[in-house]
Amino acid sequence: MPLEIEDQELLEGFLTETTELLEKLDDDLVTLEKSSGDPDLLNRIFRSIHTVKGASSFLGFELLVKVTHKTEDVLNRLRKGELTVTPEIMDVILEAVDLVKVLVNDIKSGDILEREIDGTIEKLIPLLSTSVVETPPAGPASPEGSTDANKPVNAKGKKKKSEKVEPVPSVTEVDVSDVAVSAESQLVPPQLATQSPVKETIPPAVPAKQPAKAIESKGGEDLSDNTTVRVDVKRLDDLMNQVGELVLERNRMIQLNSNYQGEISLDSFPEDFSKLTKRLNFVTSELQMQVLKMRMIPVEKVFKKFPRIVRNLARDLGKEVDLQLMGEETELDRSVVDEIGDPLIHLIRNAMDHGLETPEERLASGKPRCGNLLLAAAHEGNQIIISIKDDGKGLDPEKIGRKALEKGLITEEQLAGMMTREILDLIFLPGFSTKEKASDLSGRGVGMDVVRTNIKKLNGIIDIKSELGKGSEFILKLPLTLAIIQSLLVEVEGEIYSIPLSAVLETLRVEQKEFHSIGGKEMLKLREIVLPLVRLERVFSVKRKGEGDGSCYVVVVGVGEKRVGLIVTRLLGQQEVAIKSLGKYLANLTGIAGSTILGDGSVALIVDPVSLVEGNEAGSPGR
Amino acid sequence: MGNALTIHRDQSNKEDVSGELIQLVSFKLDEEEYGVDVLKVREIIRMPSITRVPNTPHYVEGVINLRGKVIPIMSIRRRFGLSEVENDKSTRIMVMDVDGELMGFIVDSVSEVIRIAQHEIQPPPPVATSGIDQECMSGVINQPERLLILLDLEKMSSKEDRKMLSNLSI
Repeated sequence: MPLEIEDQELLEGFLTETTELLEKLDDDLVTLEKSSGDPDLLNRIFRSIHTVKGASSFLGFELLVKVTHKTEDVLNRLRKGELTVTPEIMDVILEAVDLVKVLVNDIKSGDILEREIDGTIEKLIPLLSTSVVETPPAGPASPEGSTDANKPVNAKGKKKKSEKVEPVPSVTEVDVSDVAVSAESQLVPPQLATQSPVKETIPPAVPAKQPAKAIESKGGEDLSDNTTVRVDVKRLDDLMNQVGELVLERNRMIQLNSNYQGEISLDSFPEDFSKLTKRLNFVTSELQMQVLKMRMIPVEKVFKKFPRIVRNLARDLGKEVDLQLMGEETELDRSVVDEIGDPLIHLIRNAMDHGLETPEERLASGKPRCGNLLLAAAHEGNQIIISIKDDGKGLDPEKIGRKALEKGLITEEQLAGMMTREILDLIFLPGFSTKEKASDLSGRGVGMDVVRTNIKKLNGIIDIKSELGKGSEFILKLPLTLAIIQSLLVEVEGEIYSIPLSAVLETLRVEQKEFHSIGGKEMLKLREIVLPLVRLERVFSVKRKGEGDGSCYVVVVGVGEKRVGLIVTRLLGQQEVAIKSLGKYLANLTGIAGSTILGDGSVALIVDPVSLVEGNEAGSPGR
Repeated sequence: MGNALTIHRDQSNKEDVSGELIQLVSFKLDEEEYGVDVLKVREIIRMPSITRVPNTPHYVEGVINLRGKVIPIMSIRRRFGLSEVENDKSTRIMVMDVDGELMGFIVDSVSEVIRIAQHEIQPPPPVATSGIDQECMSGVINQPERLLILLDLEKMSSKEDRKMLSNLSI
């Protein structure tokens, strides 16, 4: 059914608001589960759902109204204290929220489909109907029991969960577990089995049913819309100010030029001109900062999806995980934010699946049963650092090496020559997996490859720190923005190239005769390490302009732990450059990441250090 | 009678359609004259300084800065295997829209914009002149005083080239 809404503006407003509310909702719900009974939080959640319901009923989205209405009812009961938050109830509520997202997405795409919503609604209904039979004094036992009655299979797991619930005097913990057991065995309304004062019991109006069809979990995940930007009015005003300044400087420039043409005040021209240049420089760099700031969004946008993901994964895997987020307010360019979501999900999955142990294993190795997962973001110079740290079992280099051998990803000799760090890097190879069998969670050997490819695409690097038995940490270093980078301009036999400064470790001036040759490759002894060298002129087949004076410059670039020295003729200096794409036709050239325009209007190519470092490794520097 | 009249009118209609005028930009390579559809040409510029791009096919001359946009430049001479000449005052770059992206082509000189009728375009002769790829040639225009070869430059940077490029970059 195509969407027919006359007031497009109204609809857009609804979509924006709803999307924002729903994004927040996931996070709030998971927090609620942890700190059950926080009335403020509960009220906020309730209000969000209520707002969505109100707006959708106004616009006539019936399916949406039905789902939100029932969800609201359940939340209302939680709010009134008639129900207590349990993982089971939360599962149902989250499922309902997912359904709402799917429905909102339908509206967004402009085509309302007939979605199957009864399954989810039927799950919500029992949570409502028990209210009829339940008396508030029965307290925590009732919701526990009632959900158990609906899902008898889960009943055994209850004991632990019910410990969290504040006991009401009349019901002890033992009673609660009794309820669970009796509910399991008899499948009668639990209130009958408890000693709690029950006046009247009416069987649930609607019998609980298994959902007809689960809603595809992926569908509701991403509602974020990146085609429009919300910018702080203050920032916009600042920008306007800066533009005003710029216009002023332009006028001065025109004035100066006409003075010069008319040969008026020629004496002061050099001084005026240099002043103008300085001011113009100042204004434009301010302007650049402002615009850059507008593109910045807090990394929270990505992070807030994770509590939900971690919660679900933990339940699927039977692990207990405490996720901590740090530095959510760290801002980075939206283009980067858009790209890091996927790699982070893979890394989190990886940490939860491979890193963290089950509660039993953890207890056995003397750790607290609940695993810790820390997701942190921070600025460091011109980079943003995102780290995913777990206190699980860490990476076992021996096992990784063995697996890589088994899968035929490396040879015996290669493995023998590898340092621990290099072995850890093997997990990023496509096809690598320590799992014997692929599950729906992991084991196909693509995840980490995706991580590395995406991070590389962002000009970022990824580092692994791991201590066997103590945990592992994945550190992503990403540029703040993709549009402008700091770069080192170098000259290679008359041609100018730009090397991203983030990859440059140091520069040296050396005599050619200091080079050594190992197996036909040039090397340089740099302090205690042997540095492989790459002649840029050879890689880029630049025509030589005759022999130099025997000395040249070496730019040491590093990608991860790998180091390579690039031989160039001259260093020209550091410059901030705007990255320009070379277009489709010249995409994917070896060693070239893009291009930029220099002060004189000519084009300089940007060197891709990653492909040079790896090209060197593959044993083919240059062609 | 009536029937005959209708038929006649039909024919004249057809005549009109095929007689639709199209505009071509004509340019020269060696002594031969070529033409491309004017609607594909974005602008014609003098030779700026070209930055060579390594590891590309020989006919990719490099890239230039076209008012803040970096666009690739190709030498038609090299692409067609013609002998190379020094660039001179009349050398021009024709910036064309190829599959939604801008691309520059170096030609010896650009002559004029001409109008011709659709029906004047004849299919290309089976044997191409001077090594020009048959597939780039979309027709010939035979006028009393000149012979114009109609080129389809989109074909010049077509699939195979792109494939070749992506192979190169492995």
